[in-house]
Amino acid sequence: MTPLLEVRGLTIRFGGLVAVSEVDLALNPSEVLCIIGPNGAGKSTLFNMISGIYRPSAGTVHLDGRDITGWPAHRIAAAGVARTFQSSRLFNDLTLIDNVVIGMHTRTKSGVLDALLRPRRARAELEAAAEKAGELIRAISPDLHARRNTLAGALPQADRRRLEIARALASEPRVIMLDEPSSGMDDRDTDALMADVRRVMAERPGLSFLIIEHDMRLVAALPDRVAVIDYGRKIAEGDFAEVRLMPRVQEAYLGHKAAEHA
Amino acid sequence: MADITQATPGLLNRNGASANLAIVAGVELGSAILLRAFLLSDETAVIVALLALMGAIFAALQLRPVLEERIVAAFHDRKRFATLLGIVIVLACPFFLQGSGYAFHLLIVSMLYAVLALALNFQLGSANIPNFATGASYGIGAYTSALLALNFGVSFWLTLPVAAVVATAFGFLLGFPSMRTKESYLALVTIAFGIVAHQLLNNFDWTGGPNGLVGIPAPELFGHSFARPIEAFGFRLPSQANFYYLSAALVGLSIVSAKRLHESRVGLAWNALRADPLAARCQGIDVVWYKMLAFGVDAFLAAFAGTIYAFYVSYISPDNFTFLVSVTIMTMVIVGGMDNTLGVIIGAFFLTMLPEKLRIFSDYRLLFVGVVVILFLILRPQGLFPQRARNYGGKR
Repeated sequence: MTPLLEVRGLTIRFGGLVAVSEVDLALNPSEVLCIIGPNGAGKSTLFNMISGIYRPSAGTVHLDGRDITGWPAHRIAAAGVARTFQSSRLFNDLTLIDNVVIGMHTRTKSGVLDALLRPRRARAELEAAAEKAGELIRAISPDLHARRNTLAGALPQADRRRLEIARALASEPRVIMLDEPSSGMDDRDTDALMADVRRVMAERPGLSFLIIEHDMRLVAALPDRVAVIDYGRKIAEGDFAEVRLMPRVQEAYLGHKAAEHA
Repeated sequence: MADITQATPGLLNRNGASANLAIVAGVELGSAILLRAFLLSDETAVIVALLALMGAIFAALQLRPVLEERIVAAFHDRKRFATLLGIVIVLACPFFLQGSGYAFHLLIVSMLYAVLALALNFQLGSANIPNFATGASYGIGAYTSALLALNFGVSFWLTLPVAAVVATAFGFLLGFPSMRTKESYLALVTIAFGIVAHQLLNNFDWTGGPNGLVGIPAPELFGHSFARPIEAFGFRLPSQANFYYLSAALVGLSIVSAKRLHESRVGLAWNALRADPLAARCQGIDVVWYKMLAFGVDAFLAAFAGTIYAFYVSYISPDNFTFLVSVTIMTMVIVGGMDNTLGVIIGAFFLTMLPEKLRIFSDYRLLFVGVVVILFLILRPQGLFPQRARNYGGKR
């Protein structure tokens, strides 16, 4: 079986600094892969390369067998890779509905001429998108749905993350990358988040998640596999129960000395 | 508001509807009367009193947001009536100006600036692109149509679209280097473009150099020359009335375009770009393309305004299209309210008429404009009429 998303030898250098070095990853359809590792290990940089914000210095990214290495971010999004950000980046001065409708940009068509000369059609397309956006928000949380016409900037942290996930879903992606989705959440919110991911996957066969996470409760419960990144390299991969016992992983997290006593 | 009407439909609803009618009519007629009084008064004391009245109205709206919400709700409820009444007022207005050529001139210039401000609003308001070259697009439009009319005898109606296409091409051309630059650098590129355009107009022979172009013929429509007065209903309107109606039509066109673009996928993409360009890219929005598109739309409308201006005054020179013109247009957008069509138009009228009406301060015109802008940024940073959220699934 060809993996849905395949990263081979992905490397990026900023000047003399090698931020990510020779990372290989393979994400299968309907799979959750968690990427863990200490702060500054290069996890977010890896995400930025996959989503096209950074251009890798070496290595390739394939989506469904197609080489998308070095594509501009908007084309990668259109190809089916959606993402959220560590410091959630919503469109703060727009309503929740508008945020999610923008997420459907690649699934809608109207251009300037349609808007000017065929306003009915353009408007109808947008209304339909808004309708669908409302459903997406409702599915994530009825509370959010009640606030759908308020500005996104006023949302509390946990709700911002959920709205970002709704926005990512709006583009009907193949892969969703979540960058530390549980940061700023308490245990209850994290449980809800995990339930959301499972529900979303059950509803959309084939959809896969790539998640950067620090919350070990989530890492232990949610993913099918775990990859560990340290100093820009992948040092381990596999089932979390096995990976956590590896000496190299313990060193990365606890330091060399402490790992000896662990 | 909505809760009350939902709870008790019937009587209250009907009362609310007629109240809405009254509010809409009152606001529109009141504004028209205020504008007329302002246009026709020439005593400093009267002008200052009228300004104070306007200031008081805005202060009331600022201090009592409920009032503002009530008015907005009324307009929302009676959209069709509000539009029709607005059109009637615009059509009837010339008959109440006592044939004052000066009042007509001010209105025409205000409307042309309103179009320019609406054009810039697509960039500055919708997409937060600081374009300091709207004045240049305005000039390119004016010169293109004037040159076509003078050298090849092309009719005004044909020069309109041609000038728009030429200016749009230049707009895209400007967008091209701008796409590699960000924020303040982008502003610098547009400033440079504006200055280059001005200098070229000043130095080419075929543009008439600093003397500009003279004797642009008046347009004709169905055998009626725009240089001749309009006779209707036993009234005799000065020849400027022709251009008044023409500019009003252009403002109408701009408003419709602004509304349609705002309520479309394109407007949303621009708004996304304004809020967070990086996140916009990750939603599949081609940031470069949408920026260039905003430059193109801005230039297109600005060229329309330029063409009308050239044929209206029949004489243009490079000094009509300086960097300062671009800054003025930008000020209108900021003072009026980013991404709010009505606000931008009012900003344009306000900043066109104010310096004209305050002739005694005319030496301090720039200082005055500066003070007004700073006051606005402090007191009402979102502009006179701030952006409003889109409505989905509601009445159209």
